[in-house]
Amino acid sequence: MSGETIGLIMAGMLVVGLFMGHPLAFVLGGTAVLGAFIAGKPMVLGIVINRIFGDVLDNYVLIAIPLFVLMARFLSDSGVTDRMFEALRHLMARVTGGLGLAVVFISILLAATTGIIGASITVMGMMALRPMLQYGYDKRLATGLIAASGCLGILIPPSIMLILMSSYAPGLSVGQLFAGAMVPGICLGLMYAIYIAAIAWLKPEWAPPVREEEQISRSAMWRMLIVEAVPPLVLILGILGSLLAGIATATEASAIGAVLALLIVILRGRFEFSTFYSALLETGRTSAMILFIVVGATAFTGVFNITGGLRATQDLMRGLADDPFTLTLLMLAVVFVLGMFLDWTGIVLLSFPIFLPLVNEMGVDPLWFVVLMAVVLQTSFLSPPFGYALFYMRAIAPPDVATGDIIRGVLPFIVLIILMCILIIAVPGLVTWLPATLYN
Amino acid sequence: MPIIRVIDTVNEIVGRIVSVVAIIFAGIIIYDVFMRSALGQPTRWAFDVTKQLYGFYFILLGGYALRHQAHVRVDLLTARMTLPVRRWTEAAGYLIFFFPFAWIFTRESWKFAMTSWNQGEVTYGAVSIPVYPLKMAMFVAAVLLLIQGISEFLKLILDRAPHIEPEITHVR
Amino acid sequence: ENWTMTTTWPSSLELIEIDRHFVKLANDMIPDDQLTIEFFDGGELVPAGEVFGAVESGTIQAGGDWPGYWAGRDSAFSPLATTSSLFNAIDYVNWIKEWGGAELYNEVYGKFGMVYLPYGVTNNESGFRTVDKPIRTTEDLQGLQLRLSGYEQGKLLEKLGGSQVSMAGGEIYQALERGVIDGAEFSTPNVDYSGGFQQVTKYWSTPGWHQSASVFGVMIKQENWDALSPETQEMLKVAADANLLWSLSFTEKRATEAYQKFKDDGIEITRLDDATLQNIQEQANATIEEVACENPLAAKVYASMISYLQDYAQWRDASAPFNLGRTPAGPDLAAIEGCAG
Ligand code: NA
Ligand code: NA
Repeated sequence: MSGETIGLIMAGMLVVGLFMGHPLAFVLGGTAVLGAFIAGKPMVLGIVINRIFGDVLDNYVLIAIPLFVLMARFLSDSGVTDRMFEALRHLMARVTGGLGLAVVFISILLAATTGIIGASITVMGMMALRPMLQYGYDKRLATGLIAASGCLGILIPPSIMLILMSSYAPGLSVGQLFAGAMVPGICLGLMYAIYIAAIAWLKPEWAPPVREEEQISRSAMWRMLIVEAVPPLVLILGILGSLLAGIATATEASAIGAVLALLIVILRGRFEFSTFYSALLETGRTSAMILFIVVGATAFTGVFNITGGLRATQDLMRGLADDPFTLTLLMLAVVFVLGMFLDWTGIVLLSFPIFLPLVNEMGVDPLWFVVLMAVVLQTSFLSPPFGYALFYMRAIAPPDVATGDIIRGVLPFIVLIILMCILIIAVPGLVTWLPATLYN
Repeated sequence: MPIIRVIDTVNEIVGRIVSVVAIIFAGIIIYDVFMRSALGQPTRWAFDVTKQLYGFYFILLGGYALRHQAHVRVDLLTARMTLPVRRWTEAAGYLIFFFPFAWIFTRESWKFAMTSWNQGEVTYGAVSIPVYPLKMAMFVAAVLLLIQGISEFLKLILDRAPHIEPEITHVR
Repeated sequence: ENWTMTTTWPSSLELIEIDRHFVKLANDMIPDDQLTIEFFDGGELVPAGEVFGAVESGTIQAGGDWPGYWAGRDSAFSPLATTSSLFNAIDYVNWIKEWGGAELYNEVYGKFGMVYLPYGVTNNESGFRTVDKPIRTTEDLQGLQLRLSGYEQGKLLEKLGGSQVSMAGGEIYQALERGVIDGAEFSTPNVDYSGGFQQVTKYWSTPGWHQSASVFGVMIKQENWDALSPETQEMLKVAADANLLWSLSFTEKRATEAYQKFKDDGIEITRLDDATLQNIQEQANATIEEVACENPLAAKVYASMISYLQDYAQWRDASAPFNLGRTPAGPDLAAIEGCAG
């Protein structure tokens, strides 16, 4: 059976399995097994275990994933992040559009603590959506903003998406990727902020300030800010600092982050054994969820490669694009379309083994390319029909917010993300400047 | 059905014990960083032990995560189906995708673990620690996942799947 | 026959050229109806550490490797891959072709149901690259935390006063950049240069005493080897020999170019002084005697290697200065023969 045929069959099975509502990890794994049988090569299934062991279990870089999840869990389950948002909300609530700006700002900060989309969107949705609707924010603007800002967590370091990408991109260290994604991530956050400010200026009724009587006194506000917002901020900057400027590798920084987060929780007098233990259990489930997608994807990719699907796909892409620019655009488009159906884990794991050899072949800077992919993958949460952020918002939002409102709300942000991609293509220095400064 | 309860309990216990391991490998990493940067003495065993603990940790939690329906899936279509159609669609997903994978995972990891055991395989870096316990854990994890799949499949067949309720929107 | 073959090297490491060159030679030479080898870059089929397992279990038919990766399964793989301060590349070639080395490769790999054709040899590795201070003497090694791979190599470094740090290949660059470690060894100069080490280290201490030369080759599942006609087997051996010779000059040329690039980038290149090299030789001999005697098969391999050195020594010395490298005063042969299986 030719590589094209088996590649098509496996891709088709993947789509069918996803629409059947079966967990992605096992759709991938099951497709690998059936693909090997359909190709008439059941004997290749041994590589499934070789790959699961070597790529996922015996992989030092991936240790950072559970540890960053744990850090985020400690902070959010003990209420430290909620209180931090409250403090910032009070700081920015006095101006038109201020609440919206607070959402963007806190999302950038939360982005630094979490790599998991679910955590940031749930936390933001719970904390910010009700007040925004209460103060008369436009439904579409509020839901779109919270969903889009929440996704920044997978782009702005520390990010488990970047950790996973590094493990799939030989020659790119986690540190380089973190440094490369930092500027585009912050720029994207700024673009969201500018968009909110512009809306607030053009249509003040869409983003009104908080009413006078609900504001707290300035001294109370500052006290709250110092007590609630400073310690987690110091933690975040400390982690990034130790990683980018000095002391530890990514895996080590993740362990330090988890333990320091626990210390903050203890020092703030918010430690409870039951919350601590449930954070451990929740981290276990989340880590297993992410890493089992890696398990399924590595099984899928192995069979896809050995049966010729990989080479057929690469030849197809070579045929469609024979210069680096067209190739990059083509890959961006593929990732964007995949983003309508899959989330970043599946996309990275499926596309990187196909794309990166082509990227190297064409002489495209892999660091720039990977960060560009990381930016466009933001849309994988937002673009209908299968954007997870849409589902989250749906679950959190009150019934009078229609699903259509949420979808219309995220569209401007998808446009902004695409704009950011165009910017990165036009000005590669946005990605390459910081790593070059730090690492050369 | 007692078998469902037995399987769920087994994975619940495993999950509750194994989840704590994250704290242990975080501690080892911190200890190593401290010994190296403050006292100038790298801990020779830290690298290999940390890596192995992480491996034990996530692989053994696969069944536990399945028991809690934590594995990410796309239920846009199935959420719109009538309940019986949805149940049978999800059950079919287990038959077509889950069981072939879980079976191969179990069968091949058994061979893999036995080869390592027979060779007495050790790591070959700064220290030599046995590799076969981790490879055996992979087999145990495969079995835990397979039996949890059986439990989830039975729940769907017998209409006892707690995640299929009309009111709940299933999100990750 | 159709074979699927992969290697331990990803396409980003130049070492993969040795595998690719062999596959091309073999495919060009052998008629397609006899044997076609389909080659996949490292990582495409299985991760580096799993190539051995994939061939052993028969999932794929052949795998390019560096034998040292499998030392956790049997420590005898270690001397088949490299030595601390003992063999140079020509010693390996001599030993493999005429002093019984080839048989020992097949004996060790044969334990795992495989046939082995050594088809690549590189000479000395770079040595240590350090961030803050040069290493010229044993004294300079005291207290240094160095990234170094290998059990035997770590023991030797500790005897010399340094500490071994284990670290994944992908983490070395950042660890050096951030001062997490004092220095690191990685590979030959050309491979090191592609890893960007000139950006994060100032000093380079030659020679690479921890890895005086390295051997690469292909492991083939015994039953797949047996299924070939004797002519095809012979052609594979010829391809391997041709590749062995080519690989040495190819990598030495590339190392020469890279050496110059390191110099142009302002790296201070120092050489260990003679007293230090003498000390390292003595400690290396002691380490080899220790580790050889932990495993009878490893001792058998080492005994064969040291016998070769002693056997060759007289003529080698007589032909100086036209001899092939130095004549090392190696470890005590009788002691190691005593532990050989
Ligand atoms: Na993040
Ligand atoms: Na990498």
